[in-house]
Amino acid sequence: MTEKLRTIIVEDEELARNLMKNFLSDIESIEIIAECENGFEGVKMINELKPDLVFLDIQMPKITGFEMLELLEHKPQIIFATAYDQYALKAFEYNAADYLLKPYSKDRLVEAVAKVEERIQTEGRESDVAEKVSDFPREGYLDRVVVKDRHKIHIAPVDAIRYIESMDDYVMIYTTEGRWMKQKTMKYFETSLNPNDFVRIHRSYIVKVNEISEIQQYEKESYVVILHDKTKLKVSKTGYKNLKDILNF
Amino acid sequence: MDIRHPFISNPKLTIAYGLFWILVSTVLVLIATLVNGVPLGNSVVETFTFLILYALIGAAIWYVIKFSTLEDNSILRVILAHLIAATIIVFIWMYIGVVVVKAFHPNARQWLDHTVLGRTVAGYIMYVGFVVFFYAVNYYYAFKEKSKNETHLKALVKEAELHALKSQINPHFLFNSLNSISSLTMTDPARAQEMVINLSQLMRYSLKHDQDEKVTFMRELENNKLYLSIEKVRFGKKLNPVFAIEEDCMKAEIPNMILQPLYENAIKYGVYEATETIDVITHCRLNGNMLEIVISNTYDKNVLSKKGEGIGLRNIRDRLQVIYGNPHLLRIEDNNNEFTVTLNIPQKQK
Repeated sequence: MTEKLRTIIVEDEELARNLMKNFLSDIESIEIIAECENGFEGVKMINELKPDLVFLDIQMPKITGFEMLELLEHKPQIIFATAYDQYALKAFEYNAADYLLKPYSKDRLVEAVAKVEERIQTEGRESDVAEKVSDFPREGYLDRVVVKDRHKIHIAPVDAIRYIESMDDYVMIYTTEGRWMKQKTMKYFETSLNPNDFVRIHRSYIVKVNEISEIQQYEKESYVVILHDKTKLKVSKTGYKNLKDILNF
Repeated sequence: MDIRHPFISNPKLTIAYGLFWILVSTVLVLIATLVNGVPLGNSVVETFTFLILYALIGAAIWYVIKFSTLEDNSILRVILAHLIAATIIVFIWMYIGVVVVKAFHPNARQWLDHTVLGRTVAGYIMYVGFVVFFYAVNYYYAFKEKSKNETHLKALVKEAELHALKSQINPHFLFNSLNSISSLTMTDPARAQEMVINLSQLMRYSLKHDQDEKVTFMRELENNKLYLSIEKVRFGKKLNPVFAIEEDCMKAEIPNMILQPLYENAIKYGVYEATETIDVITHCRLNGNMLEIVISNTYDKNVLSKKGEGIGLRNIRDRLQVIYGNPHLLRIEDNNNEFTVTLNIPQKQK
């Protein structure tokens, strides 16, 4: 390969970064263009510098490596480097190029880089990481959602979500602190939010049960849900049945 | 304290008690008829009325000893309580006894005149016998309870050992530490060596099967400083341990491996999620007969880390409860950006 792989390291521990830089310094095809200490910085640098390859830790302050991937506009090749083995399956679902378990050897790192080079040759520079992620979450229900508007990353606790509206390929998440867009499906949220707290009332709406103030009939067999702040949301037939199940009326 | 009557909670004891009194009564009846030549009917009524009746009423003496224990009351009060109880019981016993004898005994009047005084005295003496018997039962129960507690305590210590070990082989700690060592071998071999030695010492401390459950505070503190120094290599300036320990605390005794879960929590919820320096502050002082250990750490309240299962804290609370019999020795305060755990460890009086 003639062109070098422009690489970013996202890793919160200094010694771990040093080790990786040290190993990578002997690999000709790698050019390190940035190092980031946390997920926020990582998102910013990746979107800005558009690297070919990112080495990514999973457990980091602020946001995890996986949450980071959901916020990327530019999709580079990803190699996870972590001490946890339980995220390997999830990393595979995110279509990561490789998964390094700390502590790893130099040979193992070289092997991972070779995999990336192979991928780039067959698929081109941009990967489809995080795009094919399954709609079904693997570990319990969500407790927070990470969203981004232009320049700021926002962490919205699930407790603050009031309702979610579908908008074509996106959803709009209405929280007590404002609203954010996110590129996820309604199906994803329907399965990732705790069904004791959230109910799907319509093709386009998922509502937090505690936000509901009343349910009004406005035509024969059509209903609307009125939230505490007077927002009115349409209820479908299935939605009405879901409401009946969860509220026991 | 279990105030249930042993005859209710232990049917075997009840059967033995019953058999004992039937046996004694039978022997007395046989002696009266065969040796003294009393008519069988008379001796049966005489003996059974009074002995079996006493066995029934006397069962209530359990409550007298349970509610006037020597530990909680002065001797005078206990004696007074028994005197009153004995009088009541003897009175009831005599009264029912007389009624029954009058109904069934052919020459009741004459027989009663003869024996009433002797029987009253015998009633008081039997009372003493019953008190001794129930005290013995009570002590046996207390002893059994104590050994049960000890078994429970052993299980908890084992669990703490296991937990300490597990937290060292969890990826948070062991694999990341090994990765740090891997990094240091290239850049700073001396520090790498130091870290290997610290890690070994720490693991040796928790691997050792130390049967005596208490260690000096100094020892426990040294061990936790090792733990913190290893984490400090990983987290660098993000972790800032601060110790404010009064000198006289060092010799105090505390249950072993009780502090590490607290520092683990401080790192997991404070340091791990932070980008700024987190102070992990340990205050320690002797407060009369209590060793007061306060461990606090700040944390970023904007970060919603997943709530831990709290096994570590619960285990500490359980151990303190079993060892010192007090569930309030561990106190947790969470004021939104600072987490504080206060431990109060009772000390032996000097």
